[in-house]
Parts: sequence; C-alpha cells; structure tokens
Amino acid sequence: MTSSTPLPRRSLFRRRTVFSDETFDALVFDWDGTVVPDREADAQEARKRVEAVSDAGIHLFIVSGTNVKNVDGQLQARPCGRGHLFLCCNRGSEIFQVTGAGPQLLDRRTASVEEDEALDLAAAQTVDCLRERGLEARIVANRLNRRKIDIIPVPQWTDPKKADIGRLLDAVMARLAAVDMADLSEVIDLAACAARAVGLADPRITSDVKHVEIGLTDKSDSALWAADWLVQRGITGELVLIGGDELGPIGGARGSDSFMMVDALSRAPVISVGVEPSGVPEGVMHLGGGPARFAELLDVQLTRRADHRVPRIDRDPGWVLPLRPRLGQVRVAASLGCLGNGWAGTRGWLEEDDPDSTPLFLVSGVYDDQGRILPGPVWSGLDQPVRSRHRRAEHHRLLDLRTGTLVRGGPTGSDLRSMCLVSAAFPHAMALRVEGRAGRIEPGDPLRPPADDHGFTREEMSGVDLAVTSAGNARVVVAALQQRVTVSAGHDVVERLAAWAAPPAGVDGSQLAREYLEQAELLGFDGLLAEHRCAWAQMWEDAEVVIEGHHEDVAQDQLAARFAVFHLLTAAAPAGEAAVGARGLTGPAYEGHVFWDADVFVLPALAAIRPTSARAMLEYRIRRLPAARQLAEAQGFAGARFPWESAGDGRDVTPREVRGPRGTMIPIATGAHEEHIVADVAWAAAQYAAWTGDTAFLAGAGRGLVVDTARYWASRIRRDAERRGHLDQLMGPDEYHQLVDDNAYTNVMARWNLRRGAEVLTRTSGDPEEAETWRALADSLVDGWDPRRDLYEQFAGYFDLEPLLMNQIGPPPLAVDMVLGSNRVTGSQLIKQADVLMLYHLLPDEVVPDSLAESLAFYEPRTAHGSSLSPAISAALLARAGEPERALELFRLAARLDMDDLTGTTAGGLHLATMGGVWQALAYGFLGLRAHDDFLSIDPSLPEEWSALELRFRFHGRRIRVRAEHDAVIVRCDGSINVRVGDRDTEGCEDPGRTFTITGSTHSQEHR
Amino acid sequence: MSFILAALDAGPTAQSVLDTALRMGELTSTDVEVVHVTTGDNQPVKLRTDRAHVPLHLIRGPLEPALLSAVEAPEVVAAVLGTKAAAGDRRLLGTTATHIIERSTKPVVIVPPDFVCPGFFRRLLIPLEGTEASTQPVLEKLFPLLAADVELIVIHVFTESTVPAMLDHPWRDLEILGKEFLTRHLPNQEASIELRHGPAGNQVAEACDEHGADLIVLSWSQDSTAGRARVVRQILGSVKLPILLFPLATPR
Repeated sequence: MTSSTPLPRRSLFRRRTVFSDETFDALVFDWDGTVVPDREADAQEARKRVEAVSDAGIHLFIVSGTNVKNVDGQLQARPCGRGHLFLCCNRGSEIFQVTGAGPQLLDRRTASVEEDEALDLAAAQTVDCLRERGLEARIVANRLNRRKIDIIPVPQWTDPKKADIGRLLDAVMARLAAVDMADLSEVIDLAACAARAVGLADPRITSDVKHVEIGLTDKSDSALWAADWLVQRGITGELVLIGGDELGPIGGARGSDSFMMVDALSRAPVISVGVEPSGVPEGVMHLGGGPARFAELLDVQLTRRADHRVPRIDRDPGWVLPLRPRLGQVRVAASLGCLGNGWAGTRGWLEEDDPDSTPLFLVSGVYDDQGRILPGPVWSGLDQPVRSRHRRAEHHRLLDLRTGTLVRGGPTGSDLRSMCLVSAAFPHAMALRVEGRAGRIEPGDPLRPPADDHGFTREEMSGVDLAVTSAGNARVVVAALQQRVTVSAGHDVVERLAAWAAPPAGVDGSQLAREYLEQAELLGFDGLLAEHRCAWAQMWEDAEVVIEGHHEDVAQDQLAARFAVFHLLTAAAPAGEAAVGARGLTGPAYEGHVFWDADVFVLPALAAIRPTSARAMLEYRIRRLPAARQLAEAQGFAGARFPWESAGDGRDVTPREVRGPRGTMIPIATGAHEEHIVADVAWAAAQYAAWTGDTAFLAGAGRGLVVDTARYWASRIRRDAERRGHLDQLMGPDEYHQLVDDNAYTNVMARWNLRRGAEVLTRTSGDPEEAETWRALADSLVDGWDPRRDLYEQFAGYFDLEPLLMNQIGPPPLAVDMVLGSNRVTGSQLIKQADVLMLYHLLPDEVVPDSLAESLAFYEPRTAHGSSLSPAISAALLARAGEPERALELFRLAARLDMDDLTGTTAGGLHLATMGGVWQALAYGFLGLRAHDDFLSIDPSLPEEWSALELRFRFHGRRIRVRAEHDAVIVRCDGSINVRVGDRDTEGCEDPGRTFTITGSTHSQEHR
Repeated sequence: MSFILAALDAGPTAQSVLDTALRMGELTSTDVEVVHVTTGDNQPVKLRTDRAHVPLHLIRGPLEPALLSAVEAPEVVAAVLGTKAAAGDRRLLGTTATHIIERSTKPVVIVPPDFVCPGFFRRLLIPLEGTEASTQPVLEKLFPLLAADVELIVIHVFTESTVPAMLDHPWRDLEILGKEFLTRHLPNQEASIELRHGPAGNQVAEACDEHGADLIVLSWSQDSTAGRARVVRQILGSVKLPILLFPLATPR
C-alpha cells in the first residue's frame, strides 16, 4: 500500500464533537499520540480509563506500530470487565488480548524465510536508491515483519516527540528538497518499487515522517482483525469508533492511522485528536486536543453507560428496516417489527400505543383448550399519553435485522428513545430501555393484560412484578423488574427486564419466571444486549443473504430477503419442539395453527440455515403422531393422518364451518379433504435428512413420519378394475377447486411417500411384504400425466373446465373468487396457487423430465396467485426454467408482500410461508441449490439486475457459502463436500473452497 | 340552541320527512324545527307541525335560495329534505333536493318519497370507500352527533384498487381486512363491517335489506354531474332509505 492508494470511501457524519448522544461498543484507536502523548508518558490515568471502559463492557483495540512490551509496559492495564482489551502491535502483525493475567498472544503474522530475505533486500535497495539520489538513510532492523528506514538519521532527530511533528516535518521536507525530492510520497514510491522488484506481492509502505517502513502488514490488518472479531459479536459500523492522531496526510504520505479506515469499518465514525497539519481525509472528524480530548471521549462513554442511556444500532441501510407507518397502519408496523427467538415473540408496537395497535406477547406452543394460541401478559407497555394520530406517525422506529433489536428515536427534541429485545441468547429473557426528557416518561405498570384479558392476574412478590394469563391448563407467566434512573443531563431512563415461563400443569410458573428473571438481572440490560448481539451474529453466519447489483431496486431486494430470513430465524426455537403457526409469533391471525406452511415452506429454509430449528419442527410432528394415528383410525384408515390445522395436542382444529357475511353458515372443506399435508410432513422429514446428512433420522426418530404416512396412503388409495390407484374426493393446494379426484399434486406426493416409506421400512427391517405392497401401490397410482398434451392434468376433468386465463380477468395477484364468485371460478381453469407446479418444486425427480417449461406455460397464465404461498414458488420455477427476469418480478412480489402489506392482512401477523418461499426462491430457484445424498448441486440462473447472489447455509453439517456471479460460482466451505456446478461432473470441494468458472448459461438442461 | 331542520312542503311525503327528522332528533338528542317556504296555504304543514309539537318557520321564496339560506343558519345541525324522485327515477333527486345538497355545508338527510319511517332508528349503514377524504367527514361529524345507542354497520364494497390481492383463507383474511379497515378509518368506534364485491349500489341496497338498516350515511363531493359521485348516484338510485349526506368540500 502506497501513499497513492486511495482511502476507502466513507460517508460523512455530522456529530456533536464528543459524541454525547451516541454509545459505542468498541473503540479502535492508536496509542502513541492518541491515548498518551508519547511512549515515555505516565499512563496511569489512561490505565484507569481503559479498565473502567472494560468494566463498562466496551471493547478496546489499541493499534500501535511498536511491540507489546512497549505498549503494555507503559499501559499496564489489567481489565476484568466484559469489555475485551486487545493490543494490536507491530504494525498489524500481532494481536494480544490483555486480561487480569497480562497479554496473551492470539495471532501473529510470521514471515517466511523468503519474505524476511525479501524485506532485507527491499530495504537495502531502497537505501541504495536514496543514496544515489543524495539522501543518506539508514535501516533500523529487528522489527517484526518490517524494515524501518530512517530517512533523517541525524543526532538532533534521534528520538523526536509527537509534539515536535511539525518541526520534524519541516526538517524532513527540507532534506528531501535538497535532493530534488518533492515529498515523502517519492520515498514511499521508491520503497514500493523496490519491494515489488524483490518479489513482495503486497508490500505495505508507511511513514511516520522520520521513517519509511517496508512491511508485510500495516494498521489495516489490525483494523480488519478487529472488524472480524467484532462482527462475530454483532458489533459493526456505527457502533465502533476509530481514533488516532495521524489520519491526515503528512509530507505527501498517508497518515499512518488512516490505514485503520478499512472497508469493513467504513460506517464507523473516525476522529483525530492530533495536530493534523495538512488536514484530515474526508469523513474524519478533526477534534484535536490530543490525549486529553481522547480521555474526554472515554469519559463521555463511561458516563453514558453509567447513566443507562439507550444504546444505538448500526443504521446500515442494508440491515435496517424503517418502520414509518402511514396513518392508521400502526398494526402493520407492529407485525413487521415483531421480535422473537423462536420460543417467544413480542409485537413491535409503540410502547405507549392504544389497544388498537394489538400489543401482543406470544409463547410458542401454548394453546388453550380450543386450540388457540394463548396471548401472554404484555410486558413492553408504557403509560405515555396517546398522542394525536398524526404525531404518533412521526415517531419512526428501526428494526435492526442484524442484531434483532427494535429501536425508536423520533425527531430532535422528541420525547422518547428506546431499545427493545427478546433475547436470542437466553430464551426466557426480554428487555426494554427507554429514555426521555426528565419527567416525561410515565412507565406505569410493567405488566398489562392482552386484549380480551385471557384470565389475566397480577401479583407482586418481593419487588418483582408477576402476571399470568391462563386458559384451561395453558398458562403464560411473566415476571418483570423495572427501575428508573434519573440522569444528570436532563434525561430519565426506565429499564425493564422481563422473563417468561410457560409451565406444564402442576408446575409453579411464577417461581420459574422469577428464576429466569434473576438470571437476566445478573447480566443486566447491557449484558443481555451483548449476548443477544453475539447470538444473532452466530445465526447470521449460517443464514446471510447478499444480493449485489447496480440497479436501484437491488438494495431493496437484499433488504427484503434479509427481512424474510430474519423472521424465519425467529419463527422456531432451536431445541425441543417448535409449533410454527401460519403467522408464527408475529400476530394473532390464524390462532397459531400449524398448516403445511410450516412443513413445505418454512422447514426447508430452516433445514439449511438453522437445522436445529428444523429438527424442532419435526419434533412437533413426531410428538403428534399418536393423534395423527387416531385421526386416521377414526376415519377408517391406517397409519397417520396429520390434520390440516394443528395446535397443541395434534387434534384437528380446522373449523368445520364459519358464519358468512350474510349470517349463513359456510362449510369449510379443508379440514376434511386437504389431505396432501400427510405427504407434506413426510417430505419435510426427508428434506431435513437431505440437508443435514442425518441419515439416521429417518430410520430413527423420524421413521414414523415417513412410514406411518405411507401406511395412510396405502389404506386410502382406491384401486379400480384395471388396478390403477386413485385418490378420490380431496383437495389439492388450489383451494378454488375443492373436492376433486386424483389431484396430481396429492397423488404424486403420495406416490413418493409410499416409495420413500417402503425404502425406510426395508432399511429398518420392517415388513417386506408391506413394503412391496406400497411400491406396487405407488406404481399403480395415476398421476394425471396426459401424454397427448405433455401436461399433468391438475385433477380428473380439469381440462374440461372453462379455459379462463388471468389476463382476461385482471393482473395477478388477485383473489378472483372475490371478483368472479366462487361458482364461476370453480367451473374454470383458474387456480388459486401453484398446484401441479408445486411438484416441480418439491419433487423435481418425480415428474416427467423436461416438462417444466410446458407446465409453466400452461399453468402460470391460469394462476391467480390468490394465495400468499404462491408467487415465490413460481419465482423459483421460472428461474429453473431459465426465465430469471420473470422470476425476479414474482420474487419481488413475494419478498415485499408484508413490507408493503400487499394482502391488507399483515396487521394480523406476517406470512411466514411467504418468507420461507422467498428463501426457497433464492436458494432453489436463482442459485439452483439441491441437496442430494452425497453432494450439493448448484445451478445458478441470475437476473441481469443482480450481479451476484450469495447465500450462507449448512449442508451435511458444513458451513457453506455459495456466491453466484454471472460467470463464476464461488463455494466456500469449512470441510469437505462434493458439489456439482451446472452440468459439470461432481467434484470435491475442500476447506476453504473453490471457484468454478461458468460460461454461457449454466442452467441444467434437464429443467428446460 | 341547535336543532334539526326539516323542510316540509304541502305534499303527501311531508309526513315521512317530518318523521325522519324526529328520528334524527332522537338519534342526536337535538330538537327539531320545521321550515316551509310558503306558497299560500300553509295549513297542511301547520297541522303536521302542531301534531308533532315542533316549531314551524314560514319563509318566503324563491324556494331553493330561501331553503338553502334556512339550512345554512348556524343553529341548524342537519337538514332533512324530501325528494320527488323515487327509486329508479333517472333524475335520482328532485331539483330542490339537488340544489340543497350540492350547496349546503351542513349534513343533509334525503328522504325518498316512498319511505315509511320506523318508530326509531336502530341501525345505521355506513358505506365507506376507504379513502381518508371520504371517511373524515363521517368520522368528524357523525360520531359527535350521535347521542343514542345505535348499531353501526360499515359496508365496504371492494373497488378495483381495494379488492384483495390474496385471500389465503377467505373467512379469516376478510375478518382481518375488515378489522383493519375499521381501525384505520373509524378508530375507537364500535362498528361492525361487511366487505362485499359488486356494483356498489346493488350491494348497499342488499345490505340495507339484509340488516334492516334505517338510515344510510355517506360522504360525498357535492358534485352530482355525470361521471362524478358515481357510488353516491348508484346508491341513490338503488335504496329506499333516507340517506344522510356529509359534504366533503365547500359548496359551489
């Protein structure tokens, strides 16, 4: 890196000079000249501050060009707090962590013999070149990974102080001018040339005015290490402060501290406390004031921590969703801003809002006797006066997807700032911190009843507030602690910690909740936040989505995709059993009932990005096998018949009829007839096994999900006179056509289920005759394939229906049953959502090869997309069929479905199936991922607007990162896997990964 | 002292207009007074007002300006008028009624000629388009007026822009849509809602019949020329109930 290397672009910050309004979680700063005046100065005060900052939980990275003995010898800090102290020494070559026991080496860049020799040679050649120019210079040896050249080796400048930098510069410049050298940049360029000439590929050339160093590392390496360490803890961008005293150019050379301004920290504010005679780079705040000013900065941070001020988030537009509801849409914003951890979820309502905003706290899997999810006590409310509707809309909030926090901060001078979290690290803990002008916060009761009360009771026990909601045996208990802090700067802060318990009958939930609360209290809000951020960082390690492109819509694509993944990650707990309702824990709609949405849409995503959650979802089904067997038996069939809508105990909770708008009772057929869910559950189990490589699962705990469901189909199939198998009078995914015979989707799924069941039965020493019977039944089952048309007939007689197309009615998505009436629609070929096409998505190996394009051409124009489940599936299939541009349109429709409230029902909760579909469109559609028994196939089909798509996920226990560009696929893995890219042969891929060059269209021929 | 002003003529429909005004008075806990633009024989009107024990104001014409002036008096909370145009009449409204509703700043109840007034108003039907402009007058002016317990039924007939894009489970999603509609447009008001699809006039008329509504409440732009106020015109042409019209804008 030379003086001519441009600095990373930074955004301009407008900040008050000492950041009195911001809390940082990490400080990356230079040592000599920034924290201490020089290397001989007394650092006692600095030590105290450093240890105090560590106690406050702030991480410190001291970046120095000298060695650890010098820095630690001067500082002598021995921090014991939550905040870590790192000494990044020897100009980017070493990292030490300092604890109570002193510095411990964490990382060291060790030069090879060749590199050391090259450094010697480069330095020698540089000195020679300078001598030829008339400038006497001397090599200062014995520096780790670098050679230091003294370009002013004269006695009066033997060991200049920082304060003398101006005079030193004058002296150096005069010396250079005397030999016709313009400034230090010429010396640096000479050194760079010399370094490259001797074979150093990436020489780092820096200068502190007196010296020019040729090295293998520089301060950017320290900053990158810090950035990497911090991002693993959810600390990024604006949560980090970078500080130095030599950020600006000096003598034509880059300031040595400017190398800390790396791209990975491009959003971090940067300050200089130095003299900076030539100014500072764009984006750097020049505070001046030297170490005294830096001490002041640290003191402000310590005060903010002591005052429990509301922390901040990194307002990275790629990760932050503003919630600025239009008037009357506060309930939509509450759904979008829902926080959860898979076990529990809290809607993101304004703390002081009125009941119309549906404040809601839900615990997964807690249902009343009617099978409705039980709302818990509301823990995040305040007693602020309700503002006018117009004023309320001004107080926007930000949902930080990266760290799972919801923050609020209104216009300057507004009343409230807050941060809320539902801990991802401690499943039962939740926290809220609110600050406002003194006397303006009315916290009120920390625990309030939900709408409709739900048996809400209240008590207080030894200073802890407790509340319970209950219905029958179901109970949700929440304990809360609230404290109020009055801050000297004219602010009040209210901090509320809460913990929930959902005890089984007979267990004292109050005591449990109190114990969880005590654990939370030990950490406090800041500790909970730190652990929570860390946990989210770990989750995103396996789930990150990156979409790149120059078109203005691409940034929104990425944000929408991350939004979908965020809510998928909070939908299901990573342990135990997870009942994932249609709207998850984000709203009251659909009463928490579990549909095929969970098995077919949500689980496949989680099997890749959070396999433990997928396993928990399957555990939910496994534990309800007894109920499923009972249901099958009650209906006169064998095996297991999972209900269409399921809740706590596995009974069918699908309503049988509902009262229509005219007061008439309308029968609901889905419960009795939408049976494909039986095969959907089996398919989900197989998907889990395929992605995780857990081959024992289907033979062990998951066996019943595949075998008992196969047994159900075996008993359900009717054989005609020609011994062909039929499934009569049921409903496929397309609910516009309710009772049909031989729905292609159901039949093909059942066929697959029978074959897979037979395979598992055989593998687990089951009855071979039964397995053979199942295979025969599977072979006999009609699948609707019409060879004359090269199409699957959606159900028997479908082709005879009125051949209406959507372009005759209106552009999809459209609830055509509302527009045309259900009778007309039932008599037509218009379909609500992907039905036959679902087969191509779920079972591409089970359908007739090379028939996707024809099926899309036929069914897509007839698809109303009147279901939120539909667009993402079509997007995935269009990408597979080599139509990524059309796929992108439908992807965007699905990805923004809730963000734009396209259905008008987001107020009731988010559409989790849509979110699962969005991930599947990215993974299976645009990236063309498929999990096979022993390899991963990748077959990208990217739209023009996207220059790259990258997904992180797990496959067979490996951490995988697949990045597809239009001409390459880059696979990163932390262990051995086999991959097949496009039409290439299957190849091995070892840690850390490989790049596969692709030319033209890689789209696999089999899907055309 | 505020009052409901009923404009009576000497014709046979005057009684239903007066009865409607009396029901409006009960609904809003407001007195009722009558205005008649005299044409000579005032006895029929006087008989009616004496029987109803309501004050009668006789004013001189010309008819429409005089009536408008009376309606615009500051004490008048709302006006009640008859119309000579029956349901199905292409004119929709008589000239006097049209003149008043297009100009008055006050809420005006139009009583169709064949309306038989019930003993009390129990059920109000409120068709709403779902735009803030059309809802505001209802929100700001109707609810402060209401003093008696009355059932409010909101009807939203889906338009091209509001017909749902998706209904995963129609019965559930329509319930959410309905609740959301009420929350956004009639916050903190007790009302039920029906979502329908089809020609607005027909749907409102059907809803009136099905629910036994007594009065329809509408806001409108006061522009009844062809191409404007389409929904209001459809409703006027389809229903046989009094319609309470709240003006959106200042009159011409």
